[in-house]
Amino acid sequence: MNPEVPNPTRVLVIDDTVSIHKLIVARLRPEGLEVTAELDGQSGLERAITDVPDLILLDIGLPRVDGFEVCRQLKEHAATRNIPIIFLTGDTDTESKVRGLDLGAVDYVTKPFDEVELRARVRAALRTKRLQDMLEQQSFLDGLTGLWNRAYLDRRLEAELNVSERYGRPLTVVMADVDNFKRINDTHGHLFGDIVLQGIAESLSASARRSDIVARYGGEEFGVLLTGTNLKSAIYVSERLRASTESRLYEARNEVVRVTASFGVACTEDVEGELSPEAMLQAADLALYASKEAGRNCVHLFRRGELVRIPGAF
Amino acid sequence: MDPIRSIYEDDPDMLEIVREFAAELPGRAESLENHLRDGDLEELQRLAHQLKGAGGGYGFTAVTEVAASLEQALKEGADESVVKDSAAALCETLRAVVVPAED
Repeated sequence: MNPEVPNPTRVLVIDDTVSIHKLIVARLRPEGLEVTAELDGQSGLERAITDVPDLILLDIGLPRVDGFEVCRQLKEHAATRNIPIIFLTGDTDTESKVRGLDLGAVDYVTKPFDEVELRARVRAALRTKRLQDMLEQQSFLDGLTGLWNRAYLDRRLEAELNVSERYGRPLTVVMADVDNFKRINDTHGHLFGDIVLQGIAESLSASARRSDIVARYGGEEFGVLLTGTNLKSAIYVSERLRASTESRLYEARNEVVRVTASFGVACTEDVEGELSPEAMLQAADLALYASKEAGRNCVHLFRRGELVRIPGAF
Repeated sequence: MDPIRSIYEDDPDMLEIVREFAAELPGRAESLENHLRDGDLEELQRLAHQLKGAGGGYGFTAVTEVAASLEQALKEGADESVVKDSAAALCETLRAVVVPAED
């Protein structure tokens, strides 16, 4: 996902009655929203964590895990904390409305709901959400390169690992570190160093695919998340990232400078044990160090504890 | 009892789902009667709650009103006779609903 690509606005309905799902789908149709629905609290929670919708319409009287508990858990989870929640309540008593709002819901709608009121409340919640997203996006962008920053990469990595676990979809993490960056800075100055970082950011963005998430992870370190990508495909993508970085030339005062980077690759299918963000980053980092040790400007991958240089091994 | 029609049956966005909803109501009435006979008051209340929430949304205000009385009676732990009358009234209302004709 690139910062400028708009996604359809998605609404998740969690209600134990199919007739309510159908009604909401019909009533929100004029708003051009993508509506999905779940019938109980547990499925709703799981769906919210993997899909991260823009708005949740949440029934209170759900079987087993009730709406209040779903709300509490959504607010606890980093990936779902900022999703606005509108409670759907069959009761008109003040107590349950207040309880819902205190748990972090933005609004409530009483069933049976008036269609015009439902749409107005949904629009209002989405308006606030969009402004919040804009502010948040600013705080997740790297000022120098325009790429996503580390905070964003960490957050997306956690979310994508959830998706990966739920749907059995592979996820690959690529870490890259500019070779001899200190020497570049010392020789040509920090301004030139900045130009190099911007150039590498452009090379990586240009050779990544639309679904890849490219970030500046720190000083001269970059991270790329390849969603839905197994190790075999990741090998081609990461080699392309390396080659495009190497092919760009930079003009210093009196010379043309070529800059390279070393790459480390780790895929969920080849990391053993619990698939935490830390474990994935550590595996990619180990592979990255192996590339540095091997003389830089190359790609290593982490394969069940082994560090393998590519393309040699394949 | 007079036939009950949805106030939304002329809304092209709604016609199809109103038809589906209305067609299910006689079955719901039967479920209500079964739960009442089995003394499953919890299920009876759940069903009343759902009908209260959905009825008005599909343009059947009467369904919401009568279902709300049954839910209230069950919540308050009203006498068996009150619950029975209230459930019977809801069943009668559900059976009076007219499934709108296809376009």
